[in-house]
Amino acid sequence: MLDKKVKIKAVRDLGAGNHLIVIASPEQARLVRPGQFVMLKCVENTGENPLLRRPFTIFNIHRNARSGKPAGVELLVKEVGVGTRRLVSARPGQTLDCLGPQGHGFQLPSDLPSRVTTACLVAGGVGIAPLLLLAESLLALRVKPILFYGGGTVADLVLREPFERLGIDIITSTEDGSHGERGLVTEPLAQFLRIHPRKDIRLYACGPWGMMRAVHELAVGHDLQCEVSLEARMGCGLGACLGCVVASPAAEGRPYLRVCQDGPVMNSRLVRWDIEPV
Amino acid sequence: MKPNPNDRAPLKGPRLGVEIAGVHFKNPVMTASGTFGYGLEFARYMDLNAIGGIVVKGLSMKPIPGNPPPRVYETASGMLNAIGWQNIGAAEFVEEKLPGLRDYDTNVIVNIVGFELEEYLEVARFLNDHPGIHALELNISCPNVGKGGFHFNKDPRDTHRITAEVRKASPRLPLWVKLSPNVTDIREFARAAEEAGADALSVINTLVGMAIDVRSRRPRLRFRTGGLSGPAIKPVALRMVWETCQAVRIPVIGIGGISTTEDALEFLIAGARAVQVGTANFYEPAASERIALGLAEYCRSHRIDDIHEIIGSLKDYE
Ligand SMILES: Cc1cc2nc3c(=O)[nH]c(=O)nc-3n(C[C@H](O)[C@H](O)[C@H](O)COP(=O)(O)OP(=O)(O)OC[C@H]3O[C@@H](n4cnc5c(N)ncnc54)[C@H](O)[C@@H]3O)c2cc1C
Ligand SMILES: Cc1cc2nc3c(=O)[nH]c(=O)nc-3n(C[C@H](O)[C@H](O)[C@H](O)COP(=O)(O)O)c2cc1C
Ligand code: FES
Repeated sequence: MLDKKVKIKAVRDLGAGNHLIVIASPEQARLVRPGQFVMLKCVENTGENPLLRRPFTIFNIHRNARSGKPAGVELLVKEVGVGTRRLVSARPGQTLDCLGPQGHGFQLPSDLPSRVTTACLVAGGVGIAPLLLLAESLLALRVKPILFYGGGTVADLVLREPFERLGIDIITSTEDGSHGERGLVTEPLAQFLRIHPRKDIRLYACGPWGMMRAVHELAVGHDLQCEVSLEARMGCGLGACLGCVVASPAAEGRPYLRVCQDGPVMNSRLVRWDIEPV
Repeated sequence: MKPNPNDRAPLKGPRLGVEIAGVHFKNPVMTASGTFGYGLEFARYMDLNAIGGIVVKGLSMKPIPGNPPPRVYETASGMLNAIGWQNIGAAEFVEEKLPGLRDYDTNVIVNIVGFELEEYLEVARFLNDHPGIHALELNISCPNVGKGGFHFNKDPRDTHRITAEVRKASPRLPLWVKLSPNVTDIREFARAAEEAGADALSVINTLVGMAIDVRSRRPRLRFRTGGLSGPAIKPVALRMVWETCQAVRIPVIGIGGISTTEDALEFLIAGARAVQVGTANFYEPAASERIALGLAEYCRSHRIDDIHEIIGSLKDYE
């Protein structure tokens, strides 16, 4: 939506390569809807490598401590490569190019024809990023969110506190059993859906491809609707390069959808799960 | 009527206008095909009126679905892409996008693609009749399409043939031919296109490249190879533009890694009549506007009245 030079306010190390980055940008913060992202240049100079900006979900709106007005956005950034490494080592006060908020966010139950009373939010690791703003919106609509939060180990289960503060039930799982149930996050989810065979549940998932695929299959198996927040490598983040596509079974003659524009959040039935986009 | 004391004679700015095949461009900066969508995507990030022209994404008559992902990968100072000519088709472009573009005071150039000669001719014929299009840019050089068809960029005789045929199919529109850098001697292809009636040449398209994920041992792109673009290719592009300018009399439009005013100046000095900004639009959506303003500023500060004083002004060592 807007292309701004923004200032980094703070970088907080959350362990295991995860960082919370606070960016000052009131104009952009005011426009954010749950599930949207920003395209952030990871270094100060526009012409410097890495050249392409990187997409990051808006985890939270940063609010002015006194007025409560939107002052910026908070991003959860996991260090995985050259861009994220530069970004998490940025110092407060540093200026970066920031485009956003971009993309199509979550459909809230208020926009839906059928009644939803319970929302299963399913996160794998940094896939937690889009779910806080979603949870807040759901609570405001009197829909009960339940968070299923999985990771490899306990250190991957970052930023649970803001969800706890909202009073949300959190069911954690880790592959090594260091927190919550041992195993994949889809196991407690499958169990929950088994013992609650209801039609007024909606699923929202973000995490690794395989996890989202498994959540999609559970949704189909229980005849429930599921929205996923997808990842793809992006060129422009604004709909122009067609680099970020995901294959889709739905669109006749148009078998690809753009993650940056038609997504990043899509109904899981719009995605062809046999072609991983990254 | 009393003269308004605030009215001064307007500052005489440098003349940046150039002409390509009888079409006037207010300045020599355009955006490159495939890097600027259908143009309107960028309207909220920059002033589309500030640039000389917009070259839209390569269009075919029927929509093309494109390649399966992953389609892009960043490499040192550049990127690889294998989009595979995905586009909405010329009819939808004319109906849905062109009217919006015509609201802007800039030239619209349509890049055309096809798998077979007849497909190129069909889209060229169709576009010939539509007002609001200022030129066709014939893309014979996209490396990202696997299946069959002619390879019009492998043999200068094929370049000659397709240029001549498209020339006939769209007699009303100026025809630019966009050349591939993936050849031994680009001058042969440049001459072939000129002889066949091209009005201008766009130089260059992307260089075929590859990247591999050593963990999975798979190519980073599902198509395996892709087109390299961005600052990494600028020296190669500049050399090819310079060579092409020596070989032909028709205008040459320089493309490849341009992301600053200085980059644009290099291409102009090498002989390019105009330039196109490509990959830079991705990481700086207003790059083309900034470069256009930068050229004006450069001329002003160097007391250059007309951009033609720069074009082709390359000097030799004593
Ligand atoms: C809509 C969207 C929202 C995202 N939100 C977040 C977020 O909130 N927090 C977060 O930490 N990350 C998020 N990501 C992923 C993030 O963009 C990538 O991790 C980042 O681009 C990697 O950049 P890099 O230069 O560090 O890695 P590179 O050096 O480019 O690559 C390092 C490794 O990361 C993988 N990778 C690179 N880009 C992506 C990508 N886009 N998706 C998946 N894998 C990738 C590569 O295959 C490679 O193995 C999001 C991605 C998208 C598309
Ligand atoms: C994602 C992408 C898509 C492209 N699509 C087209 C296209 O449809 N037709 C075309 O002639 N060139 C296409 N190109 C090539 C560019 O127009 C340009 O020639 C090339 O990228 C070199 O310029 P640059 O280094 O400034 O990007 C594409 C380039 C990129 C990066
Ligand atoms: S990233 Fe360019 S179209 Fe989505």
